[in-house]
Amino acid sequence: MLKLLLRLGLLLGAVGLLGGLGLATGLRHGYVDAFYARFAAPSAGSLVLGTSRAAQAIKPDVLAARLGQRYEGPWLNYAFTLAESPYGPGYFSSIQRKLAPGTRHGLFVLAVDPWSLSLPKNAQYRGATDPLKPREKAAIFPEEKSMVSQLASVSQNPNFDYLAHYLHKPFYQLLLDTDTARVVERLHHDGWLEIALPPPTANPALLRRRTAEKLATYRTLAATNTLAVVRELNLEHTISFLLKHGQVVLVRLPTGPEMAALEDQYVPYFDDSMTRMAHHMGVPYLNYLHQPYPTNDGNHLTRTAAAQLSQRLANDLARLPTQP
Amino acid sequence: MLFNSLHFLVFFPVFVGLYFGLPARWRAPLLLAGSYYFYLSWKPVYGLLLAATTLLDYFSGVRMSRLATPAQRRPWLYLSLASNLGTLFLFKYFNFFTDTAVALAAALHLPLAAPTLALALPVGVSFYTFQSVAYIVDVYQGKLEAEQNLGRFALFVAFWPQLVAGPIERGGQMLPQLRRPHAFDYGRVASGLRLMAWGMFKKVVIADRLALLANPVFDHPHRFVGLPLLLAVAAFTIQIYADFSGYTDLARGAARVLGYNLVLNFRQPYLAASVGDFWRRWHMSLSGWFRDYVYIPLGGSRAGRARTQLNVLIVFFLSGLWHGASWTFVLWGALHGGYLVAESLTAPARATLARGLGLAARPRLQQAVGTALTLALVAYAWIFFRANNLPDAFYIATHLFSGWGQPLAAQLPAALAGLGRHFVAELLVAAGAVALLAAVDYRAERGSVAAWLASWPAAARWVSYAGLLLVMLYCGIFGSSQFIYFQF
Repeated sequence: MLKLLLRLGLLLGAVGLLGGLGLATGLRHGYVDAFYARFAAPSAGSLVLGTSRAAQAIKPDVLAARLGQRYEGPWLNYAFTLAESPYGPGYFSSIQRKLAPGTRHGLFVLAVDPWSLSLPKNAQYRGATDPLKPREKAAIFPEEKSMVSQLASVSQNPNFDYLAHYLHKPFYQLLLDTDTARVVERLHHDGWLEIALPPPTANPALLRRRTAEKLATYRTLAATNTLAVVRELNLEHTISFLLKHGQVVLVRLPTGPEMAALEDQYVPYFDDSMTRMAHHMGVPYLNYLHQPYPTNDGNHLTRTAAAQLSQRLANDLARLPTQP
Repeated sequence: MLFNSLHFLVFFPVFVGLYFGLPARWRAPLLLAGSYYFYLSWKPVYGLLLAATTLLDYFSGVRMSRLATPAQRRPWLYLSLASNLGTLFLFKYFNFFTDTAVALAAALHLPLAAPTLALALPVGVSFYTFQSVAYIVDVYQGKLEAEQNLGRFALFVAFWPQLVAGPIERGGQMLPQLRRPHAFDYGRVASGLRLMAWGMFKKVVIADRLALLANPVFDHPHRFVGLPLLLAVAAFTIQIYADFSGYTDLARGAARVLGYNLVLNFRQPYLAASVGDFWRRWHMSLSGWFRDYVYIPLGGSRAGRARTQLNVLIVFFLSGLWHGASWTFVLWGALHGGYLVAESLTAPARATLARGLGLAARPRLQQAVGTALTLALVAYAWIFFRANNLPDAFYIATHLFSGWGQPLAAQLPAALAGLGRHFVAELLVAAGAVALLAAVDYRAERGSVAAWLASWPAAARWVSYAGLLLVMLYCGIFGSSQFIYFQF
């Protein structure tokens, strides 16, 4: 048996060494996916939260440049997608894990929209226990099985937990993605997701097609989902927690005009609802929904628009009274 | 627990270490405990079903062994068959038959309402019930001594390497092995590990990669015509072979590490020169089961030509149904039955044609033509196996060779979407891996690959092992995707 163990050890050692070298090179110079860098970044003092709209629209480096003196860093865009990070217990736990211990003066930008506060109409949450049992959580919140809810290690570099469970492309592709000039989707180290597409004006037909596809998806969502009290409660819960660690701001991000109209139609009272919540929680609420910023697909801002919006947001936040 | 999961990556070395670390008398109990742990890791409640089936078959077997005549044994046979096949029917076929009956009644404007059962199909139920049925029939027929030791019988049913997707073992093959002690043997363990590595390569490098090519087309076939459909069918043809034979290699390799020999399940099936030959090479343990427990009891080839053909059709209808409670599987089985009947009926004409074309004088060419035609027929039948429903299957089957003049620019991006933006690299990796699989199969057709490998210089062998592992590490797709045959 010793002979086998020795030979296996040598074989696996050699393979591990060569594999590890390749992996290390790939992680250092290559590109993993649209999520990994957020889980490989150190725990943060200031966070941008929300779904894909926030992931692509708010640049933490712009906020940090303007507000770095007022709030604690590191700054991180910790927004994912509608499937991964709507406001719920899974995202809340992940935020708790990501927040740097001892943070007292952080800035927390919470992007809100009706979609991230909705649930399928058939979600069974009446009669659920408080606090929710894991099985009830899974039944109510579709994102409970997502990586954001499931991943225990959110601030490790390299994050083997993530790589083992959620890297679905072969390792060799990490090495193919070392040339960032050719990559359309770039997740920056501060969590901002840059979509390096040509400006939409370059191909209006393509933009129309992408917008139509996006609207079709969201119309289906509007037909099958409804604004959920249980999500609003989770948002309040998240705000209460973050208020202990600094300044919280609710932001409704700009989007394409058709998408904004669809949102207004889906939940016409959403703005009033957020205004009330912000007032109740004692936090500012900034609404940019109908501001004209160009998008890549009728929903997500272009990278140029993201820089402009981030600058405007930073200026607006700078005008807020400093918290004690 | 999946063989291609992190869970198994931890389970296997720990289990093997414990197995050989324990005194010999504790190994069988550990194997049984490990088998239940392996099975319960899916859904614990299914363990109750497995245990209940085991107990009933064990007592039926023991009771039959104490009865002298077939007439006395028959009630126990019926009890066991009813229990095994009833379980299978309830979990796998109840909804299928009720849905079919309701649809039929609706078509005839008859009022019929039937309940549907919200039961999830227990993993491996088709495999272990068939294994138990074979055991109980063999005991009834007096071909096999009933196993008197409950623990050993439970291990026969639940042996973890082959519990969830076979090979379907026979009592006569497996029980004697379970009675023998199994000491550590370097050569056997090394050979088992090699087989497991090869099986894993087939799964994570070939099967799961080709699934990315096949799935987008099979999931939305109406978006495509011609070449993309043909590519998807070709991809699935290789995918299912790499997936299922990869699983079997993992199962046989793991069993070999522990000291057990499981039956061969695949023998280079895509090198078969006829559909009949294909079925002597593909999922051999299932084909053997249907031959011994359905075809021969029906009369086999002893009751005249027409009856023989009918028996073949019945066997393949049932084989299709065994694979899944859906008309697509039934049609797949029926198509293969039809192929075999046609093959039998046209044998003289084909022989004359071969002589006329001069193929009979060139056996290698005749073999190559036969292999190519068989592969084409088998691949065409896979359409029905893989399609999500009958309309999709018929669409693909009828549009495979149409629309070839249409521009591909609109179709190909969607067909290749599953491979991601590095689709060229992915296609190259897939082509290389499939070429390696074909080369190994070709070599295996000429003799033992293990013996051939053993003739290599040691350094070359170890470099090839390291190379295979590195290719798996760099090019493997590790999403813990399930093996196709686990659903059956």
